[in-house]
Amino acid sequence: MAQPMTVIALENAVKRYHTGGEVIEALAGVDFGAERGEMVTVIGPSGSGKSTMLNLVGLLDTPSEGVVRLDGRDVTDFSEDQLTEERRSEIGFVFQAFHLLPMLTAAENVELPSMWDTARDRSDRAADLLRRVGLGDRLDHTPDELSGGQKQRVAIARALINEPDILLADEPTGNLDRDTGRTILDELTRLKRDENVAIVAVTHDEQLVEYADREVRLVDGVLQ
Amino acid sequence: MSRLADLVWRFPSVVMAWRNLGRNRVRTALATLGIVIGVVAIASLGIAGVAIQQQATTNLGGLANEVTVRSGVDSDTDGVTDEQVDAIRSVVADAPVVPKRTNSTTLSSRDGEEAFVSVTGVTNADALYTVSTGDSPERLQSGALLTNETAQRLGVELGDPVTYDGRLYRVRGLVESGDGFGSGSELVIPIAALDEQEGYDSVTIVAANGDEAQETVSTLESRFNEGDEEKLSITNFASIQENVNSFFDTLNLALLGIGAISLVVASVAILNVMLMSTIERRGEIGVLRAVGIRRGEVLRMILAEAAFLGVIGGVVGAAASFGTGLIIFDLLADDYTLVFGWASLRYLGYGFGFAVTASVLSGLYPAWKAANDLPVEALRG
Repeated sequence: MAQPMTVIALENAVKRYHTGGEVIEALAGVDFGAERGEMVTVIGPSGSGKSTMLNLVGLLDTPSEGVVRLDGRDVTDFSEDQLTEERRSEIGFVFQAFHLLPMLTAAENVELPSMWDTARDRSDRAADLLRRVGLGDRLDHTPDELSGGQKQRVAIARALINEPDILLADEPTGNLDRDTGRTILDELTRLKRDENVAIVAVTHDEQLVEYADREVRLVDGVLQ
Repeated sequence: MSRLADLVWRFPSVVMAWRNLGRNRVRTALATLGIVIGVVAIASLGIAGVAIQQQATTNLGGLANEVTVRSGVDSDTDGVTDEQVDAIRSVVADAPVVPKRTNSTTLSSRDGEEAFVSVTGVTNADALYTVSTGDSPERLQSGALLTNETAQRLGVELGDPVTYDGRLYRVRGLVESGDGFGSGSELVIPIAALDEQEGYDSVTIVAANGDEAQETVSTLESRFNEGDEEKLSITNFASIQENVNSFFDTLNLALLGIGAISLVVASVAILNVMLMSTIERRGEIGVLRAVGIRRGEVLRMILAEAAFLGVIGGVVGAAASFGTGLIIFDLLADDYTLVFGWASLRYLGYGFGFAVTASVLSGLYPAWKAANDLPVEALRG
């Protein structure tokens, strides 16, 4: 395959915030990469810069210094509109609080990222993804009719709708009990292989670490 | 998905906007109510203005399209002569020309009741008088017409005789009184009854409308009056009609202004509601942006929400105003069907248009603000 194995990379990424005249260095020169088909967990105490790192990897934010590479392309200086296009096609997000839209059905929530692409009907893929996460009989349920674990599975299906290369998960099991968390992690592991995506998960959950192919530890903005 | 669902999802901003509005129905209903009140204020006041204006125009009667010709100060004859009447006829072509002789008399009933009436002698009465009961003969040869009110006072009914100058005339029709200026009690009889008078007191020309009446005035002026000389005095009330119209145009504008204020208030309410709801949904909009929804798409979605408030409020408001219009016309003009005229219906259009425009304008800032919020900030909540 011509595709480079490393789909997303941070090279010497620095992120500084200016608050109240003070400069806080959330990330102090991080080198990081994730490959297709692997799950990497990022662990570390709160305030260590995990969220900042995930924002950079997810193209939600740009670094103060350093380079962000997506599929080998330097996307560091992309405009917000260009980054939106990259997020839309290359990156899926799974949040701790699920963040499903309450007025949409499960199937519509899954379709959400491609909803405005009216030229392309993604409803079949949405239904297929929901069946693969075991929610084939819940397509027309709204989020308030689903359990926590079911909601997170809908969120995972949503993250995969546009066939991304990278799936980013921020505490994906944080709001779930242990057994439900385990089923979600089984799901992620399976989809990682099936869809050949790189999964980067930020977590405190040791259970999640067990499922990871690799873990990196972030302390005070530096990878250990 | 069904075909219909497929179709509506061709417009995702619209569907998302509709569902978002459904999430907080009370808030949506209240915001819409503000718009409804604004539309009703604009449209109802506009329609009321039209109704008053139409009523005033009707009261001025056919006067605007009537040209009255009398003998002028420089005339050497007493009254308008037959030659002049013929000349007028040849100038105005199609419009009816009615020469009149006038006098006055006192009519008395059998039980001693008396009424002072002006007497008008004409030939073709139907050109000037609208008969409410009986008929209006094209050529008044023998009978008489009497104003309603006078007939009632004297207890005169159709077919009863009235006396003028020692001769009897049977009342063949009753005409509306108070139609125009200075026409109180009136007895209309054949012109032959006033034969002893030389010439005619006046000649009335009934033009098709006010504009043609004014044209007739200038044609007659140039035909009969040279320079400052006034052989015939030619008058028309169209200029009065114009003044009345311009007064009502001003009045309507003032009424609309008052209505517009309530719509401004409503659009401020929309601005507030949209701003609050986008702030509440900040995190959610952040999620939309994170998963790759473009800024323009978020903008369109929120503008569509504002537009929906305007459209719903506009439709409900227009319907309510239509109902109000029916009542207004029924009360002022005794004819509710007049509301279907373009003059009043257009105010429903104005109200609706204002409502949608005001709502979309109010949605612009909240939509722009939400769309340009950085997703990383919005996600933080």
